[in-house]
Amino acid sequence: MKTDKAAKIISSALRKKRTNLSEYEAKKVLAAYDIPVTREILIKEKMDLDKALEKISFPLVMKGCSAEVAHKTEKGLIHVDIRTVKEAKKAFTEIMAGLAGFEGGVLVQEMIKGRRELVMGLTRDPQFGPCVMFGLGGIFTEILRDVTFRRAPLEMQDARDMMQDIKGRKILDAVRGMEAADTDLLARMLINLGQIGLDFESIMEIDLNPVILAGAKPVVVDALVVMKTEN
Amino acid sequence: MLQKTKKMTDAGKAHGFKTDFERIFHPKRIAIVGVSADESSGGFGAGMYRAISAMGFEGEIFLVNPKGGMISGLNIFRRIEDIPEQIDFAIIAVTARLVPEALEACRKKGAAGAEILSSGFSELGTKEGRQLDLQLKEIAARGIRVVGPNCFGIYCPKSGLTMLPGPDLSRISGPVAFLAQSGGMAIDFAHAARWMGIRFSKVVSFGNGTDLRETDLLHYLKDDPETQVISMYIEGINDGDTFFREIKAAAGKKPVIVLKGGLSQAGARSVASHTSSMGGSRVIWQSVLKQAGALQVHNKDELAQASMAFALLPQRAFKSISIVGGGGAIGVTACDIAETYGIGVPPFSDDLQARIGDHLPRPGSSALNPVDVANPFVAPPILKEVLLAAAEDEQVELQIIVSLLFHYGTIARMFNKPIAEVVPFRELAEAVRDVVDRTGKPVVAVLPNAKRGLGNMEITQMIAMARQEYIDRDIPVFDELHDAIRAIANVNIYYGGRNHENRQSG
Repeated sequence: MKTDKAAKIISSALRKKRTNLSEYEAKKVLAAYDIPVTREILIKEKMDLDKALEKISFPLVMKGCSAEVAHKTEKGLIHVDIRTVKEAKKAFTEIMAGLAGFEGGVLVQEMIKGRRELVMGLTRDPQFGPCVMFGLGGIFTEILRDVTFRRAPLEMQDARDMMQDIKGRKILDAVRGMEAADTDLLARMLINLGQIGLDFESIMEIDLNPVILAGAKPVVVDALVVMKTEN
Repeated sequence: MLQKTKKMTDAGKAHGFKTDFERIFHPKRIAIVGVSADESSGGFGAGMYRAISAMGFEGEIFLVNPKGGMISGLNIFRRIEDIPEQIDFAIIAVTARLVPEALEACRKKGAAGAEILSSGFSELGTKEGRQLDLQLKEIAARGIRVVGPNCFGIYCPKSGLTMLPGPDLSRISGPVAFLAQSGGMAIDFAHAARWMGIRFSKVVSFGNGTDLRETDLLHYLKDDPETQVISMYIEGINDGDTFFREIKAAAGKKPVIVLKGGLSQAGARSVASHTSSMGGSRVIWQSVLKQAGALQVHNKDELAQASMAFALLPQRAFKSISIVGGGGAIGVTACDIAETYGIGVPPFSDDLQARIGDHLPRPGSSALNPVDVANPFVAPPILKEVLLAAAEDEQVELQIIVSLLFHYGTIARMFNKPIAEVVPFRELAEAVRDVVDRTGKPVVAVLPNAKRGLGNMEITQMIAMARQEYIDRDIPVFDELHDAIRAIANVNIYYGGRNHENRQSG
């Protein structure tokens, strides 16, 4: 079941000789593997915006969504904390302009509130195969590089060890009035991420950053999946 | 079914015959192929013959060289086929292109294995080199296991097999096995181990790893009753899956200590030219070794020191220790180091402090933990009483004694005597051994030497003698406090970590 849904998305992208999944597609793959992602709707026409706004409540996030465009932030393709229909319409127009004709649409996405950002990912090591990554997310991923890996398949204990491995492990505790993170759920996410790597050899890299802790619950807010195209 | 058989890469299984490691490591009849009769020959074959003879190998040795002749009164056979009856093991040191033929002849002579010292195979990076390696692989698959080529071979103290150029390695066996592709690393480790007090079950340098390599050897050593600790230096591996499975299985049974080379960019480049393998990513290796339950160390000193600690200390973690020694600053820095490694140095109770204090010279001493014995000339019987008392503290799981023996140089000069005569190092080692036996708590000795210069060679020599007294009594001994504490911390990671117990059941 899991694999079927994900396989459809991946093989369709591969048929089009694409090396990336769009954020929307990537999250569908993750969701098929029970990895919690943001609720979101992809629209291509302005007239569909109202319908989307009925389902996703304010405040929300709107993003340009295209497999062909990376670095959304730098290109002004992310609008956060949208609180009114007017703001939403303006954002839609700007994002479509920013996509500059690339195939894609606008993602209307729930805004996840939480101050703690984590990163999860998958890399295909030439010697050890698919390896799952976990660490501090957001801008700290680049600055501190506080990440650890385990090769797939992960056992429950491996996933738990990863959370102990990072220097910033205390971020998962109940700190400063925030709830302790749901480490069972985090562990299952890591295990399932590894399973995706085992199931799909065409996936070279997955980058889930940030994974925001909304209270205790981790939610994948942005996702990138890079594939290898067959020659 | 066919596919399944193909997948099996465990030792021997892929070969369809059972590997007789007993005959490889403890051969009774060996052939050395490629021995020149010229006594002054610097060839590997003759060198190996001299080394194995010097080691006192008790079995029969058959020498082979097409030119025949004699060496040290021993007849040299012209052909391997001329050796009477069977052989167990062969050492091959002929030119690369002649190796396949020699290996095949050894197989027909019934050898369970052969080590190939010759180089000129895939490590050259040439098509011919790779082709020769492939030939060896094919012959190996027919029923002979191969160590090498391009290696220094096997050292097994029990049987007297030795690696190049080691005629002077110990014949005393012990619990540590060491594996490396690199012959240089293996022989250096074997030499360092000797003065450090590490005893080996077997050391294998497997060079190109054409047939036997770390995965097969881990598989074997995991269940080898002679081996309690596995140490290894890795540059590259063949297959991540097999490697992970074998090292995890081995680490579930006994400590596996790994020094992984080539994790820096420059290191990776030299790995490529040294063993033509891939260095790999630092953070992935670190994570994968941890996941497998193996212990990663970061240089060869740490590798050797951890190996010694694992071999000599009881199989458990030591989270809380006492430190006895001379000098307040030593105690202070000792506490700092211990804390860095997550080891506690708990203060003794008032009562215990009073009793320890009664043994110590005053003023200047301190009986708090660390115990500062005030001067370096406190006699062994007194140190013994202090150690016995300190062991009474239930929190103390291990003791460290730091002896600043180099200070005796002053006394020696005063009495105009050789320093070795004035230092009670034997009494000290005896006292420590006795404390361990009576308290059941291990003691680790540290013998720093602040006087290592040319003008103080007699002190360096005396420290070496003192060290030997400890080694003879199976007491772990280190040069520096930091080395000792780091080694204990490494033991703690293996036995104290969540990893070990989980992996064992898993």
